[in-house]
Amino acid sequence: MTLALEARGLTKHYGKSRGVEALDLQVQPGEVFGFLGPNGAGKTTTIRLALDLIRPTRGAVQVLGLDARRDAVQVHRRVGYLPGELALYDNLTGGELLRYLANLRGGVAWPYVEELAERLGCSFTQRIATLSTGNRHKVGLVQAFMHRPELLILDEPTVGLDPLVQQVFHQLVAEVKAEGRTVFLSSHNLAEVERVCDRVGIIREGRLVAVERVEALKARALRRLEIHFASPVPRDAFIGLPGVRDVQVHDAVVRCAVTGSVDAVIKAAACFEVVDIVSHEPNLEEVFLAYYSGDASHVA
Amino acid sequence: MLRNVLLKTLRDYRRSLLWWGIGLAAYTTIELLFYPSFRDFPGLNDMVRQFPKELMALFAGDVASFFSPEGFLRAQLFFLFVPLLFIVFAAAFGSGAIAGEEARGTLDLLLAHPIARWQVVLHKFGAMALSTLALGGIFWLALAATTVAVGMEVSPWRLAQATLSVVLLALAFGSIALALGCATGNRSLSLGLTAAPALGAYLLNALAPVVEALQPYQKLSPFYWYIGSDPLVQGLDPLHVASLLGLALGALALGLIAFERRDVAV
Repeated sequence: MTLALEARGLTKHYGKSRGVEALDLQVQPGEVFGFLGPNGAGKTTTIRLALDLIRPTRGAVQVLGLDARRDAVQVHRRVGYLPGELALYDNLTGGELLRYLANLRGGVAWPYVEELAERLGCSFTQRIATLSTGNRHKVGLVQAFMHRPELLILDEPTVGLDPLVQQVFHQLVAEVKAEGRTVFLSSHNLAEVERVCDRVGIIREGRLVAVERVEALKARALRRLEIHFASPVPRDAFIGLPGVRDVQVHDAVVRCAVTGSVDAVIKAAACFEVVDIVSHEPNLEEVFLAYYSGDASHVA
Repeated sequence: MLRNVLLKTLRDYRRSLLWWGIGLAAYTTIELLFYPSFRDFPGLNDMVRQFPKELMALFAGDVASFFSPEGFLRAQLFFLFVPLLFIVFAAAFGSGAIAGEEARGTLDLLLAHPIARWQVVLHKFGAMALSTLALGGIFWLALAATTVAVGMEVSPWRLAQATLSVVLLALAFGSIALALGCATGNRSLSLGLTAAPALGAYLLNALAPVVEALQPYQKLSPFYWYIGSDPLVQGLDPLHVASLLGLALGALALGLIAFERRDVAV
């Protein structure tokens, strides 16, 4: 089967600074692939290479079996793109902009555009210049989805969206997947990637450091827990539990880091009177550290 | 008006074009309303002849026939002011065509659509050419109407040819600005790099008749191609028209090549 997206030895240098380095990546058709990494890791660079907006120093990208560079027009016909730094024509209204972009595609089914706009709460009549960042973003999402592309390439799609709209977005992604179409989205938010993606590629400092199924990532993800008890608890109760590290006990508060399932900690805590549990989403650096502790050879 | 890049670009410029047209028509009308009093002012002819010829060459060209309708039009409008305005219009348009969208960040989205880069550039060029031509049309209407109103006996056909010559000159420099925008992605740089050769071309053509060292090079100046054959009196010279078109299309071709090869800035 033709891959939705394939990078081979993809390298992009900007002057002396590195964009991406020898990136090999395969996105299967029909999957939702998350491209996870901190800002500046090379996510946008990779995406813009796939869209032929910039050209690789070495290597190549194939999109839907076509060469990103040579067959750019054909690729663009079959791909929906949401830029990370979304800029739209300020002098047009949302509706005019979508008409224009639809015309550039030789027309799209307008009822679907209206449906998308309604679901996302996107205004057709307001000038883009007067829209808030979140509302512009909705216009950006509509234009990416409106021609029902085989592959959606979305650069940080949920930044600036309020939670309700994020939910609609997640539904849209699920619909695309149900129709056998592919989504490639970048994010610096682990929780979001876990929620919507099947597989995740982790990029750091221009290098792809891992590609995992989301379940595997979750199993190894590191979470920080803070448990407040009614009275002081013995430290021993929390030492040596599977997957639990960095245990600190201060009177009635236990802080620890948990990799994978939190089951063991919760069961240990259940022996005492629990007042409150606070769980911190790990930041990406922590994920990387957890991921590669004891396996430093992977880390670029 | 949102069917394609060309029409969308024209739509973006419709207000700008309207104001340019009004301004240019108003200036032309006012300038020509002075013609009868100029012509009938006793002694002015001798006064003009006493001005230093270098100075006159620089700002008004050959003024031997300053008081004929064509001589007046050439000295007052066609020699410096009108081509300058047209070049500013076209070069501003051209420099912003690609580099402007790039600076605003909209180029990413546009180029991610199924339209090749060269097509985008050709559409932008088309919009620039049509806008400049439309401005020429407005200018010509104002000229033709006012010359009749003040009783200047000058052929509207010759006026049209001279106007077309201005449009072609502007397009040549507009194309250079467009190509520089394609190559650099920097609007103000493109505009600046266009202004310098335009000024040089003007000075070369204006001063060559009075500065002997420049004389052999006058025919290299696009301003010479524009006005050297005196289109108001003689009509268009096919070779000069071809030279201006060649310059415009040559610049366009270089812009296409440069844009095709480079990275688009975020």
